[in-house]
Amino acid sequence: MSTTCCNCGKTSFIRDDDTGDLVCSSCGAVQQYDQFEAHIGGINGPQGTFIRIGTSGSGSFYSYKDRKIFAAHNSIDELTQKLGLGSKKIEITTMISNITDSEFGEGNWFNVLIGACSYVVMRKDDCPFSMAEIAYVVSCDVYELGRMIVRVIDFLDLRRHDFPEFDIVHSLERTIKSSHCFDDVDRSLLDVMKKQGIFLIQCAVKWFLSTGRRPLPLVVAVLVLVAEINQVDVRLENLAKEVHAIVSTCRIRYKELLETLVKAAQVLPWGKDITTKNIVKNASYVIQYMEKKSMSKPVEKGKSVDRTGLDLEDVVNECLTRQDGYEYTVDGLVSRKDSKYFSSASNFDRGGINNVEMLEISAECLSLMYEKFLNENRDALSSRRVNSKKRVRLGFNFEECREWWNGKSELSRKLILKRLLEKDVGVDTMPPSFVAGQLKCKMRREKINAAKKRIKRITHPLHADIDDTLNHGNLDSTCPERKKKKRGEVVDGIDWEDLIIETLILHQVKEEEIEKGHYNALLGLYVFNSSVV
Amino acid sequence: MADQGLEGSQPVDLQKHPSGIVPTLQNIVSTVNLDCKLDLKAIALQARNAEYNPKRFAAVIMRIREPKTTALIFASGKMVCTGAKSEGQSKLAARKYARIIQKLGFPAKFKDFKIQNIVGSCDVKFPIRLEGLAYSHGAFSSYEPELFPGLIYRMKQPKIVLLIFVSGKIVLTGAKVRDETYAAFENIYPVLTEFRKNQQ
Repeated sequence: MSTTCCNCGKTSFIRDDDTGDLVCSSCGAVQQYDQFEAHIGGINGPQGTFIRIGTSGSGSFYSYKDRKIFAAHNSIDELTQKLGLGSKKIEITTMISNITDSEFGEGNWFNVLIGACSYVVMRKDDCPFSMAEIAYVVSCDVYELGRMIVRVIDFLDLRRHDFPEFDIVHSLERTIKSSHCFDDVDRSLLDVMKKQGIFLIQCAVKWFLSTGRRPLPLVVAVLVLVAEINQVDVRLENLAKEVHAIVSTCRIRYKELLETLVKAAQVLPWGKDITTKNIVKNASYVIQYMEKKSMSKPVEKGKSVDRTGLDLEDVVNECLTRQDGYEYTVDGLVSRKDSKYFSSASNFDRGGINNVEMLEISAECLSLMYEKFLNENRDALSSRRVNSKKRVRLGFNFEECREWWNGKSELSRKLILKRLLEKDVGVDTMPPSFVAGQLKCKMRREKINAAKKRIKRITHPLHADIDDTLNHGNLDSTCPERKKKKRGEVVDGIDWEDLIIETLILHQVKEEEIEKGHYNALLGLYVFNSSVV
Repeated sequence: MADQGLEGSQPVDLQKHPSGIVPTLQNIVSTVNLDCKLDLKAIALQARNAEYNPKRFAAVIMRIREPKTTALIFASGKMVCTGAKSEGQSKLAARKYARIIQKLGFPAKFKDFKIQNIVGSCDVKFPIRLEGLAYSHGAFSSYEPELFPGLIYRMKQPKIVLLIFVSGKIVLTGAKVRDETYAAFENIYPVLTEFRKNQQ
């Protein structure tokens, strides 16, 4: 062993009690390894370098509790670091300490608790993380984390207004900021995309696409659509994986979003040509329309639709009268029996084209025409707009909006729910689950009617014909519905449901009850009930 | 049965159900004490409709067809009967199970029969803005779409838990008598109409 410091050459050393290292007292350099101990406690004893960290207990200076708390702090450090919440560490630690009575804890459950507290702290600050993300970091189930979160919320009694709902808009902002999918995108474009995303997602909230559903898949769907509109290449699968959302759910939300946008697009003069296949190309127009609509003061529905729709319609009508020779290139056209569709068709007629069915023009063509016309006729447009104040404002937008996106609508900023619901974006939809429920109900009603007819035919074979004619008017009303259903799914013949309904009718169950569709409950109550007298 | 049929075709009593909607009862859970120690293995061996796997669950699971129910029979002589659609059915089913146990040679009695839980459901036929409801009734409701699609509403009086879904479907659970279920629904209905989404 050298007697001088390897660094400064001095000869005074201090031995560190914990590790047994020799440290130079003047420069602090740790000296070369010299504490190898051979055969402590006899020839069979352990051999090596021994670190002494204390004398109490079994070779340890720290008690169990100290070690536990130390380890707990370590895992808090580690997890908050992983979540990027270093700045919130103190708040999270205080919360955990409060919940566990300063006992902290050990084991997997403690990591879940750290995750839950991180979630609660972030949500209290109104910039929530998604549970999926935290669950991924903590490496536990979302539901396990969720149960812990609910317990934390209950314990801290956070059910009041100081604990906001999960903020989907913030979630979108965070995703667009942190996702690697948007790394290559220009900053200004990203900003525009963010605003469009917020606009769309608030529309989606308004359209019930988010109610009762996990927020992340919708965020992914909106971002993918916005990226597509702005010609940024983002794959849905990649983005979904990055935010720990389930890919198939994201696809479903994306489809729903497109379908709703198609509905919104029906007010455009070429709305009937817009399907889910070409909606992305037309999305700029639809969003532009919705944006303007949301900026207009809420007035009676019919009126406002006309007013904002009018400019576009006029323009395209004129356009059509000038250039007739466009080719037919509509892909996947679906004829819609929508009143809006008819009204816009009648507008076409007024504009001088008599046979709308013959002259079918793809949406792309129309938009091209429209752009062209806009370029050529700026003066004409602005002169036409002197009439009303409203039009002046719209005209301003037209001229500015060579870039179609305006971004001035309040909907591109975060709004509270009440304000959001007051906004009108031109189309209002029902929640998909509600629509499905109503459809089911209608189907059951049809089945009930059919079953009643079958029963009647058997019980009164002579009167059956008379009754049929009597009921004719009644049946007529349900006729289109029936046809529609047959197209969707083959319901030839009688299936199990028909038979159950028949049985229930024969047991004199109320039709309204059957319509609810709780077959098991009804069968139990009315049919398999022979022993109850 | 004919009586039941007639009862079924009567109009809704608007005095009792001002909303005009009567929740359908979906499940009744009841307990009864047979008041004798049971040899579960013997029951499992003798009864055809019983299953017993002591490693998985420490009770015999027995089912009967009519009323279609399932019972959990414990060695202590206590029994839980689930799956009935009405209180009467639940009691009848419990009696049937007790009779089966008697026939297997145990001195089973029928003590302390009690309905423990009633689950009902119904459809208000309009969509509900769950976010709004959760916001204004924050003290009673928990709405975490990341975990569960419905809003969980814990009513204090009567003490009933309601699951409210955006589609307008409601599940009510936790009642000991059916009137609690009905009362809870009549309480919540005006609240729901406040957050209904008007149809076009």
